[in-house]
Amino acid sequence: MAEQTLNIPQLVVFIIVAVLSVRWYLAKPPAGRTRIAPVPHRDSRINPTHVDQLAQMFPQCDRRQIAWDLQRNGGNVAATTERVLSGRGLDTPPASFNPPLSRSTPPSRTPTPAAKPSQPDLITRYNLASKISSSADSATNTSESKGKAWSSDRDERQANLQRRREEMILAARRKLEQKEKAKA
Amino acid sequence: MATSSASKRLFKEYRGLSNDPPEGITAGPVTEDDMFLWEALIQGPEGTPFEGGVFPAELKFPKDYPLAPPTMKFLTEMWHPNVYPDGRVCISILHPPGDDPHQYEQASERWSPIQSTEKILISVMSMLAEPNDESPANVDAARMWRERRSDYEQIVRQNVRKSLGL
Repeated sequence: MAEQTLNIPQLVVFIIVAVLSVRWYLAKPPAGRTRIAPVPHRDSRINPTHVDQLAQMFPQCDRRQIAWDLQRNGGNVAATTERVLSGRGLDTPPASFNPPLSRSTPPSRTPTPAAKPSQPDLITRYNLASKISSSADSATNTSESKGKAWSSDRDERQANLQRRREEMILAARRKLEQKEKAKA
Repeated sequence: MATSSASKRLFKEYRGLSNDPPEGITAGPVTEDDMFLWEALIQGPEGTPFEGGVFPAELKFPKDYPLAPPTMKFLTEMWHPNVYPDGRVCISILHPPGDDPHQYEQASERWSPIQSTEKILISVMSMLAEPNDESPANVDAARMWRERRSDYEQIVRQNVRKSLGL
């Protein structure tokens, strides 16, 4: 009797182990298949504009590497950005990896120079074109008004800050202009 | 609460920077409705190719400032070893102490609540004069700065002229 009671738990354990291992064996091939299956599916998720964006941000990175990283993290641009910034670098994609880049590469050449002028010069940025000519006369006033930069009035503060910005830019431009005139 | 103490601190720094601005630096919130977004102008240091230039940058402060540092991004084209091509500045004072993937920065150089926006701006100004070659954010600019200094300086001067609309 004692022998039998000992054997029953052993038998149960054996059966459980057997069932689990059989299920594991059966589950393995489908799991392998499902891991491959999403790849073409995810492929469509790589947004070429995301690749463009990242390639512009990190010209040192290969576009294929960017696409590969995006594909593996499910198109998460932030995660790829973080990865590059953290210095870990991007993995080299397998040779079989063919991202849909050929289509987006040529257009990306043109947007790059086009994107550059989106950073306007300071004169445009702060609407100073009209003040360039008159700035020479106001040069004397600026040093006087510098005294009270802080005001308890919110709008006045804002205006003061704005004025200080403009003065700084116009003064720099004036100086550079004079320097170039002197050279010529 | 955290947000209000952060904006209080930013307001104090704004007042300090307006009353006693460091040479060549103008900084403040874009509008006082949002104290967490600032715009700064930094003058190029004299005796460097950046001399004569004025460089606008955007500072974004986190809600838990000053526990965490702001991020800083130049708004005009910058050709500098420690500025990413998209304008973001990579300098030790902008990195929190716990986060140092490269392990070469000293804790004292990094961000802590006793630092300030003014110190960041001054550090960035001196970074313009003396790039840190150890942590290039713009690899191409770093290489050019090392190997072809005159080409590097020419690009910088061109950017200065362009940014002033000349």
